[in-house]
Amino acid sequence: MSALAVTRLELRRLFVRPLAWVLGALTLAWLAWNFTLLLGSFLAAQIRLAALPDGPGYTDLVAVPLLAQLAQLAFLVVPLLSMSALAGERREGRLELLLGMGLAPTRIVLGKYAALLAWLLAWLALTLAMPLALAHATSIDWGKLAAATLGVALLLAALAALGLVCSAFASHPALAAAAALVITLGLWAVNLGAQMAGVDDGALNWLAMSSHLQPMLRGLVASPDVTWFALLATVCLALAARRVAAERERN
Amino acid sequence: MTLPQPLLKLEQASRRRAGRPAVQGLDLALERGQVLGLLGVNGAGKSTTLSMIAGALTPDSGRILLDGEDLAEQPALARRLLGWLPERAPLWQELTVGEHLDAHGRLRGLKGAALKQARARVFDRLELGPLERRLAGVLSQGQRQRLGLACALLHQPALLVLDEPGNALDPVQLASLRALIREQAAAGTAVILSTHVLAEVTAVCDRAAILHEGTLRHDDALSPDDHATLEQRFFAIATARAAA
Repeated sequence: MSALAVTRLELRRLFVRPLAWVLGALTLAWLAWNFTLLLGSFLAAQIRLAALPDGPGYTDLVAVPLLAQLAQLAFLVVPLLSMSALAGERREGRLELLLGMGLAPTRIVLGKYAALLAWLLAWLALTLAMPLALAHATSIDWGKLAAATLGVALLLAALAALGLVCSAFASHPALAAAAALVITLGLWAVNLGAQMAGVDDGALNWLAMSSHLQPMLRGLVASPDVTWFALLATVCLALAARRVAAERERN
Repeated sequence: MTLPQPLLKLEQASRRRAGRPAVQGLDLALERGQVLGLLGVNGAGKSTTLSMIAGALTPDSGRILLDGEDLAEQPALARRLLGWLPERAPLWQELTVGEHLDAHGRLRGLKGAALKQARARVFDRLELGPLERRLAGVLSQGQRQRLGLACALLHQPALLVLDEPGNALDPVQLASLRALIREQAAAGTAVILSTHVLAEVTAVCDRAAILHEGTLRHDDALSPDDHATLEQRFFAIATARAAA
C-alpha cells in the first residue's frame, strides 16, 4: 500500500517536472524523424527486397532498428530521469522524512522504481506506436517484433534499477547520472576489448549487456538472456534498498 | 493498580554523528497531552534527538519506546502515531499545497473519505485554503512551515515532534502556532517542541528539558511564571563550560 503511495507521488512529480516532458518530447521527435528515414529507405528498396527469397521486411528494416535506437537513447535518458530519485530526496531532507514516516526502505525503492518503469514503458509504447501505425498497410513479423519489444522492455527495467542504485549511493544527482551512464556503457561493451583482441571469452560475453539484448532484437528469446536482465534489476534494487536502510544508521 | 505507560520513553539513547557523540545516555519520558520544550544551544543534540524520536535515525545504543514498543524494531509505528516537522520543512517544490497533503495522507495510509476529511480539517485549521493550488516552491518561509505542520498533523498523530516550528513565522502566526499546540495537547496529543526561544517554551510547554553537549542537564515541570528561573538555569548550563 505504501509502495503504491510512493509510486503515485513519484509519478505525479515526473508528470509535473519539465525534465521528463523535455526528454520525452526530444527523444520522441528524434525517433519519429528516424522512423521516417527508415521508412523511406525501406520503401525505396521494397521492390528489390521483394525479389529476394527470405529477404528482410518491414519489421527487420523499420520496426526493430527503431527499437534499437530507443535502446541507445535509453543509455542517456534513464540516468537523467533516475538521478534525483534518491540522491535528490536525500539532499533536500525528504528521504529522512519518508523514513520518519515509518516507510520500509524496500517500499520506498520499489515505489520509485515502479513510477520510473511506468514512464519508460509509456515511452516505449509511444515509440512502438510509430511502426504499428502502418500495421494495416504492411506485413509485420509479430513474433520478431514481440521479441525485440520484450528485449527493450527488459533493458529499460534493468537500466532503471541501475539508475536507482546509483542514485541511492551518490551524494549528488549529477554524480548518480554520471555513474549510471559509465556503468551502463561499461556493461554494454565489457567484452568489446577482448573481441577486438581476438579473444572470445565466455564469461566476458555473459557479462556484456549487448550479448543479451542483440539476440532478442533478432527475434530470439532465450531464458538465460531474460534471467540476466532480471538478475541485474533485482541485484540493483536490493542494493538500493540496503543503502536506503543504512540511511537510518549513517545519517 | 498499574500506572499507564508513557507514550514515549527514551532509555539511555545515544548516537554519534560526524565522529563525535551527538547524544549520550538520554533518558526521557512523555505522557499523552504533555508539551515538552526541548532547549539547547546550537549543536546541543536537539535535532539528533528529534530525528531518533521520529524514527529517521536509529540510536547507536539504548532504546526508544513508542506506546511501549521499540521503534527500531517496529519503525512502522511512526507512520500511525507520529507527526514530525523537521527544522526546514522538506517539501517537493514542484507539487502544490493540496498535492502535498494528498501525498502525505496516502503515505500515512489515509484514503477516500478519511483523506478528504483530514485534508479539510488541516486546511481549515492552518488557513491553507487560499494556497491549495500554489506550488510549494513559491511559498514564503512562513507558509512552508505551515504546510509542513499541516502534513505532520494530517493523520492526527499521538505524538507531534516539532523542530524549530516558529522559524520564519510572524508574531500573528506564532500566536496561532501556540494556540494550535495548546489545542493539540488538550486533545491528548503529546508534543515535543524544540526551540532556541525560551519565551516560546514558557508560553506553551508544561515541561522543559535542556540538552547540552548531548546530555540532558535539566528536565522539570514548568509554569508560565517560571520564565526568569528557566532563563537563569539555561544560561547557567549553556555557559558552564565557557565559565569553567
